[in-house]
Amino acid sequence: MPIDWSVLVEYKDYFIRGFWTTIELTTVAVLVGMVIGLILGLMRLSRSRWLIIPAQLYVDIFRGTPLLLQILAIHFAVIPTICEELLGVKPPEAIVSGFVALSLNAGAYIAEIFRGGIQSIEKGQMEAARSLGMTYGQAMRHVILPQAFKRMLPPLGNEFIALLKDSSLVTIIAVNDITYAAFTTAKNTFERWAPYIASAALYFILTYVLSRIVFFLENRYRTDRQEG
Amino acid sequence: MKKWGVLILSLVLLFSLAVTGCAKNDAGAGGIVKVGTDAAYPPFEKQGGDGKLTGFDIELMNAIAKAGGFEVDIQHAGWDPMLDAVKNGKLDAGISAISITDDRKKVYDFSDPYFDAKQLILVPANSSVKSLKDLKGKRIGVQTGTTGEIVVQKTFGKTYQGIKGYDDTPAAIDDLANGRVDAVVADNGVVLEYLKKLPAGKFKKVEDPSFEPEQYGIIVKKGNKELLKKINNGLKKIREDGTYKKIYEKYFGPMQ
Repeated sequence: MPIDWSVLVEYKDYFIRGFWTTIELTTVAVLVGMVIGLILGLMRLSRSRWLIIPAQLYVDIFRGTPLLLQILAIHFAVIPTICEELLGVKPPEAIVSGFVALSLNAGAYIAEIFRGGIQSIEKGQMEAARSLGMTYGQAMRHVILPQAFKRMLPPLGNEFIALLKDSSLVTIIAVNDITYAAFTTAKNTFERWAPYIASAALYFILTYVLSRIVFFLENRYRTDRQEG
Repeated sequence: MKKWGVLILSLVLLFSLAVTGCAKNDAGAGGIVKVGTDAAYPPFEKQGGDGKLTGFDIELMNAIAKAGGFEVDIQHAGWDPMLDAVKNGKLDAGISAISITDDRKKVYDFSDPYFDAKQLILVPANSSVKSLKDLKGKRIGVQTGTTGEIVVQKTFGKTYQGIKGYDDTPAAIDDLANGRVDAVVADNGVVLEYLKKLPAGKFKKVEDPSFEPEQYGIIVKKGNKELLKKINNGLKKIREDGTYKKIYEKYFGPMQ
């Protein structure tokens, strides 16, 4: 069956808008997810039960349920309830639900990466830093986290790429991302291969650039900060 | 060696799975007309908890087959797979509240129309909207790929920022209920069905006389005149003997 590429021209505005929306969604989710992940990761490594248990519960819930359902629940139930019943305002646009759902979800995965990375640093490093008179916070900031970060880069890169592709799920709540552009074009024109291939190509370009960035960072840390 | 054995075994398994999958799609041609539907559009078609298909389209299709003297096997395929399967002949026909449009006529042959549909605008009860034009600059929820979306695109442009395309109409109506869209444009059959479930007095429907009347038809693969004739015959018969009226009134109330 011949592929009719001309539909892409007709619907190009959707694809352009979708391209930027996908970048926006992923960038926000990566940044906010990193903050959530760092906090949760440190909570899980602490000695207090009151910090460990909530963090563990968070990770279990967000990692153990489908992202699609999280998006639907946050969009149709959580945000409307908070906005209308607690704040008395109208719920924000769907893209905000997308930001919230993706960030919360990414936070759970990134928390585990942080925890694993920090735990992989030999105990002696912390002991040495503390014996030099550093506080726990200083030792974390100056000794442990820089070393751990290097080890965390490959799994973080993995997570970012997964996140970029998972962001396609927000199409279910009518956020104009790349997938939305593909579905809209396909359903309106009965021509599916052109839009699907185009969207796959756009995702590939984005994931490729992202993986290059992570690779570049890995290299940089390898040469600038030799271990030991 | 053991590793290779496992690898080959899994490949064989995978392959046989794929083959049985294909076989299932192609088999069963023997005189039974295979009809696909997207059973997620009440009251036209829906799937019960037991997997049974019900709805106006389903009953109608069965009645048409009975009157037209052929056997049908109606199966839930999903919208896109249904369209695809009818296009390449894996399914003989499709019935799924499919509006007859010029674009679709290029790809499929349509039966005679069997249902008059029109678009309705659903807005909150206190809204001042009187026609589609009043929705200029506002956010409009539609179901992606339906004529509701096409109507909005025609009025405000194909890439109008305010169009929010949902996977199904109920999701669009949910977002109307919580204020994320200002209106929903959808087929009358579905809007009226959904209005029954919503709290009374919260929403109202607006009819825009400028909306072109639409009709639903049954699609067959382009050029399948033989099946088309059988379907049209059956449809004509059930219209004449009152079966059509009976089914219509069961779902939509008295016929005018």
